[in-house]
Amino acid sequence: MILTGSEIIRNQNSGTIIIEPFDERFVEPNSYGFHLKNELKIYQNEIIHVDQYNESETIIIEEDGFLLEPGRFYLGSTVETIGSYNHTCLLYSRFSTSLCGIFIQTSAPVGHVGAIIPWTLEIVVAHPVIVYPGMLIGKISFWENKGVVELYNGKYKESKSVTTSLLFLET
Amino acid sequence: MILTGKEIHREVESGNIVIDPFNQKNINPNSYNFRLSNQLKVYTAPTLDTKMKNEVASIDIDETGFILEPRTLYLASTIEIMGSEFYIPTYAARSSVARLGMFINLSACLGDIGFIGNWTIQLYSINRVKIYAGMNIGQIMFWCPKGRINLYNGKYQGAVGAIESRIQFDTRK
Repeated sequence: MILTGSEIIRNQNSGTIIIEPFDERFVEPNSYGFHLKNELKIYQNEIIHVDQYNESETIIIEEDGFLLEPGRFYLGSTVETIGSYNHTCLLYSRFSTSLCGIFIQTSAPVGHVGAIIPWTLEIVVAHPVIVYPGMLIGKISFWENKGVVELYNGKYKESKSVTTSLLFLET
Repeated sequence: MILTGKEIHREVESGNIVIDPFNQKNINPNSYNFRLSNQLKVYTAPTLDTKMKNEVASIDIDETGFILEPRTLYLASTIEIMGSEFYIPTYAARSSVARLGMFINLSACLGDIGFIGNWTIQLYSINRVKIYAGMNIGQIMFWCPKGRINLYNGKYQGAVGAIESRIQFDTRK
């Protein structure tokens, strides 16, 4: 079952769900709206290697915005640290964001139970579009689990901001 | 928990789910197939600005169909008015549509409980694809909520036809 907005607030208050910073204005009927941090990363090399660290360039999104271009791939981050000790998370683009042609993740929506981090977003756009630091960009839903919960203890657990792929650590 | 097709049918009949018009033939094992309306919208500005209203032009899909150009964003609408005050909707392309290289939303599949209206879909194709009004383009699913329900009362409530983004009205920190 998916938590309603009031149930998200209840769990945030009890400490089961962490959303930091939290503001009730961004509670939706069945999700919480998160914001875009002012930092993006772009891979620098033409060929991306699955078995090596990939260099990236960091871009700061200034107050007057940053133009995202089609055909490019940007990593961004949520402003908020978000997660739950007892629910599985799913991340989505907001309707308003998607209507502007912005993907915020590319077929990897699941956040594991116990992963409490700023979430790295995989941003692709269908049309040139200007984004701003702190804008509402996506939403996260919380799902009840069935079965014994083992908290996430993976390689992104110490993420502090935009984190490029650590796939190479598996090889 | 996700509703089965039979449960969607039962809840449409009881009024707890709105799908209008409703056709039993469009029920799947755990979703309902919705259809593409005959009007598209495209943004006219070369660059969109998420702080501004972005102008659109309308395109009618006539009987002979319309060819989607690759990597171009089109806003379209469902024929059906859909939603529920009791279940949380998600929507997706039909598998047959996705296999042609088409997206119908851009990682925004989660709807809000209480939204009832036409759904604006975000058509984006990797290939040149000819589409027709009335085709079964996507599917809607319904999930059980947990907790006290506060119904959606946002800026798209009661939407009629394809609606361009109202992102410029979003609350800012």
